[in-house]
Amino acid sequence: MSRTLSPLSVPYRVVERGGSIVFTALILFSGASAAFGPAGGLVGVALVGLVLLLLVGYEVAYYCRFEYDLGGDTLDIRSGVISQRNREIPLRRIQNVDISRNVVQRFLGVAAVDFETAGGSETEASLRFVDFEEAKRLQGEIRRLKRDGTDAESDAATEPTRPDELFALSPRELALVGALSFDVRIPGLLFVLVSGGVPAVSSVVPEGAGTALVAVGLVAAAVALVLVSWLGGAAVAVLNYYDFRLTRIGDELQYERGLLRRYDGSIPLDKVQTLTVVDDPLKRYFGYASLRIETAGYAPGRGAGGSEAAVPLASRDRVFDLAGRIESFGTPTFERPPKRVRRRYTVRYLLALGAVVAVLSAADLLTAGGLPWPPYAPVPFALLAPLAAHLKWRHRGYWLGDHHVVTRNGFLRRRIKVVPYYRVQTVIDSRTLFQRRWDVATVTADTAGSLSIGGADAAAVDVDEAVADDLRTALTTRLRESLAEQRGWVGDGTAVENGDVDP
Amino acid sequence: MNRLHPRIRIIWSAQAAISAVVVALLVLAVDRFAFDLPAWVPPAVFVVFLVGGVGLALARYRVWRYEVREDALYLERGVFTRVQTVVPFVRIQHVDSSRGPLERIAGLASTVVYTAGSRGADVTVPGLTPAGADDLRERLKRLAIRAEGEDAV
Repeated sequence: MSRTLSPLSVPYRVVERGGSIVFTALILFSGASAAFGPAGGLVGVALVGLVLLLLVGYEVAYYCRFEYDLGGDTLDIRSGVISQRNREIPLRRIQNVDISRNVVQRFLGVAAVDFETAGGSETEASLRFVDFEEAKRLQGEIRRLKRDGTDAESDAATEPTRPDELFALSPRELALVGALSFDVRIPGLLFVLVSGGVPAVSSVVPEGAGTALVAVGLVAAAVALVLVSWLGGAAVAVLNYYDFRLTRIGDELQYERGLLRRYDGSIPLDKVQTLTVVDDPLKRYFGYASLRIETAGYAPGRGAGGSEAAVPLASRDRVFDLAGRIESFGTPTFERPPKRVRRRYTVRYLLALGAVVAVLSAADLLTAGGLPWPPYAPVPFALLAPLAAHLKWRHRGYWLGDHHVVTRNGFLRRRIKVVPYYRVQTVIDSRTLFQRRWDVATVTADTAGSLSIGGADAAAVDVDEAVADDLRTALTTRLRESLAEQRGWVGDGTAVENGDVDP
Repeated sequence: MNRLHPRIRIIWSAQAAISAVVVALLVLAVDRFAFDLPAWVPPAVFVVFLVGGVGLALARYRVWRYEVREDALYLERGVFTRVQTVVPFVRIQHVDSSRGPLERIAGLASTVVYTAGSRGADVTVPGLTPAGADDLRERLKRLAIRAEGEDAV
């Protein structure tokens, strides 16, 4: 039985699209009526009316010709006014069903539904718009049909659908998310900007004003900038994560969040590729961390700024507890890289510092002393290099668990990545010229996740070369064993049903 | 461990020569339209890039190794950054063999292995004879099917 969109979607879409048309038309034709007198204005109004009429016609046709049908094992969508398109998506391939509603949509009781599969970078299908209850029904039905389809003989149909709340963001934590969504790198950036602006400001300030006044003004400006960026970040975080909750229904995770725009999404547990626990020095000091859940090919809501299928902030224990309930990886005991890499990092930082000084000197030469500070001003930072190197080394590490590989990297933004062995796609061992000088290597476990495109794959960085060789072999062996276990194979090629046959 | 076909050096050297020509032409253009450079600069740039590129091509040939192991395809390559990649057969999505224009002139071919991974998503084994590339493709295909990588993600 095929269904149609909500009738309310017609006026909503007309207003959504027509609004901008009317607005641009108003600007254009106010100019036209000024040039051609009242007649020009009349023609303009008629034209806009015609366009709006066409738009209404189009949207009505769109509504009439849009049909979807959820049945058996595919989701069929027939759509398109001018060119008709039929699309069938196998339910097993649907990874996420995301529902979003902004304020107006919530008032009207409609919602936008997006279906994501692992293939492709864009949304596979979207319904604009259906009733909210219908959206929830679709989410639930897809979950039910998928489960029944993949595991027909199990009696799972009777027990699971009771939601089990895994996590809810308390108001206190929400406030903290706002407060801590401040990026620790911003003050440094601002320092550079502000101190770079010194000559510009001092040329504006009258000669006799005195340096004290200028300094006070600068400090005030800096504080104001920090405060504004902080408040902005806090507001965005609160709007995004208001009333965040994560529930587990059967073998799916569902999240809900948002103050003005409400998001409802589902993540099938068997599509989870990696878990990432992220923290920074501030969060570590207060004992907090955040968690990201990554599925293949797509991280929910990336367009809206970061992966939101994630716990924005919670105490470290709660984060690890939650992560452990999604992937039971136990308690990692990290193996750090050899101590000699600290010297390597020190050298690296000193070289970077040298490069900065060289660039500054060149700039100073070219501008004939136009820099606000002398080119050798950053040299005292050299004293910090060993400390920074030590911290970088301290926060690196890897751990091979029974079923997962866990890696840890980064000091300012520390990421702990948990990858089940059976999710590993390829194992890459790379040794740069400089790494070879120190007899170290980087072993990367590549997964099908999508956040990793930014270069933050699960990697054991700067481990000893011998360890890297072992790690490479270990990862591939465990991938094979873990896959065999996962798929219920025993031995080589002999399939055993669900593993409940005597060995 | 298998090495690549020695003729791959010719292909890589030819590629280096082509890019050296392009760079030299760019320098020539700069010379014509922007700064006046000494007359020896464009040829010198060409020679430097050619020698560097050919040297790199030879070094790359010396480093490149691949092997079809029991359960994975293993590659070793990289002059400056030495990279060893292990592609388990279970993870192979599909396999291509391809022949570019230079490869066709030199009578060589490559095999490309695709996985669902995000960074090592396609792995190329260059420098094979056409028959060798087809063989490797067929062999990897059979191994991938045997390893049964049905639910790849």
